Amino acid sequence: MSSRAARWVRVGLPPVLAAFIAIVAWEAWVAVREVPAYLVPAPSAIVRAFTADPARYALAARTSMVEALGGLLLGSGAAFVLAVAMAHSRPLERALYPLALLVKVTPVVAVAPLFIIWFGFGTLPKMLVAALITFFPMLVNAVTGLRSVDPAAHDFMRTLHATPLQVFRMLRLPASLPYVFAALRISVPLCIIGAVVAEWMAGDGGIGQVILIANGDLDTAALFAAVVVLASMAIGLTALLALLERRLLFWHESSERV
Amino acid sequence: MPVTTAPALVVRGLVHRYEGEAGGLLALDGAELRLAAGEFVSIVGPSGCGKSTLLRAGAGLIATSPGTVEVLGGTASQACAAHVLGLVSQDPGLLPWRTVEANVALPLELTGGPPRGTLGGIAEAARALVQRVGLERFAAAYPHQLSGGMRQRVALARALVHRPRLLLMDEPFGALDELSREELCLELLSLWEQQRASVLFVTHSIREAVLLSDRVLVMSASPGHMVDEVPIDLPRPRTLAAQEAPSFAAYVHRIRAALGAPSTSTAHSTGDPA
Ligand SMILES: Nc1ncnc2c1ncn2[C@@H]1O[C@H](COP(=O)(O)OP(=O)(O)O)[C@@H](O)[C@H]1O
Ligand SMILES: [Mg+2]
Repeated sequence: MSSRAARWVRVGLPPVLAAFIAIVAWEAWVAVREVPAYLVPAPSAIVRAFTADPARYALAARTSMVEALGGLLLGSGAAFVLAVAMAHSRPLERALYPLALLVKVTPVVAVAPLFIIWFGFGTLPKMLVAALITFFPMLVNAVTGLRSVDPAAHDFMRTLHATPLQVFRMLRLPASLPYVFAALRISVPLCIIGAVVAEWMAGDGGIGQVILIANGDLDTAALFAAVVVLASMAIGLTALLALLERRLLFWHESSERV
Repeated sequence: MPVTTAPALVVRGLVHRYEGEAGGLLALDGAELRLAAGEFVSIVGPSGCGKSTLLRAGAGLIATSPGTVEVLGGTASQACAAHVLGLVSQDPGLLPWRTVEANVALPLELTGGPPRGTLGGIAEAARALVQRVGLERFAAAYPHQLSGGMRQRVALARALVHRPRLLLMDEPFGALDELSREELCLELLSLWEQQRASVLFVTHSIREAVLLSDRVLVMSASPGHMVDEVPIDLPRPRTLAAQEAPSFAAYVHRIRAALGAPSTSTAHSTGDPA
């Protein structure tokens, strides 16, 4: 128990201390140099902007979170299903890989307006933008992961006449998990970016809209507050993911590090 | 069971070519092999002479032609479907997300239940084998928590839990230190005395082959074929003391000569022909 507390102090204290020092320095710099608030607001001003209407930020964060998470599930889920097919068939992989690459190189900012034209102003077009941006990392990682089976284990299962479904369930799927988590770690910040970019185009809710309005008002403190909320969302999701990963991948060598 | 009298493995005129540039590589050219029911046969030969290829053909893992592979009177894939094969490779090939016991239970999950004639279910049968290889204290451990020798013990238990009739072993102890090797050899012998499966054992250690086998086949490279066959007439059950017998040294000497290696009179080397 105490060694665990000691670990928290050792791992958690340095970044907290660094952040604290940076915030104090920032506050001091703004005060001493009298930097105008519309250029760089002091940390205290950002906190005040947030506490003036926390419900507004919370509501916007919830909207963005639903879009981002929905997109993540949709995009990663579709990519994983496609990866299962591609991992089992080289011809299918060769046929679909260029199309997947096309999805990857298409800038989201270019397709977001299209999605809004096609699907209106609701949650759906934003989810789709978030889905699109998370699709490729999962596809590439999952195909690699599903193929990363231990040949000796695979041979053993083959000598016992294991069906493709058994090989998938008992060997490929668990073997792919480290790669799936690697993809999710990349995708968590991406899906938030996707949702916010889509909100800029449609501007009817979410943190993206808060940023748009704050920008129009030259309310830099509110803008900063929105950015902090976004960052907190990404950090929270990443932490949740790390927790899940430690649970599920205790057997994998990557969990030995830290 | 009438099939018991069928030879465990018969290989005739086996040719295998690996695809590649310049016509590929001829790994086996007319390999012959006959393994009687209940027999323990080792294959020794220099690295790259086609031992693994031969064993994989016997397990139905690669298609070969021309030539025939007959496992317990049927084809290799029929043998796989009948769940009568046990495989141990040089890499243990355990599932890292499964405990020792769950790894050993894998064949029973694939075959749909514990072997006939045993009491209890899959878990009991797996636990019995885990105990049999001396790992009961590690039944709930994961592979990454075990030493190399212990992992290979798990692989051995997993290969035997469904009571296969033919056990195929490809340099199973090759990556282990001398002490673990001897220990596992004895373990294997005692399991074999008990289960009486036929064993095809590939190794590059001459002494290991002599200690374990009824017969040692000597293989030569490019392309792979048999060059000698040495029946080992040492009393069973064997212990490490068998290595002290004068005939043991003579067997080692003869096999080394067949391999074409410089024939030193020191019978105490580990006998690696490479
Ligand atoms: N998958 C493969 N593709 C091409 N060549 C191979 C392959 N596997 C083995 N070989 C070659 O075939 C020969 C025999 O290999 P192998 O049966 O593994 O020999 P051994 O087990 O006796 O060391 C070697 O020359 C090896 O390089
Ligand atoms: Mg080999």
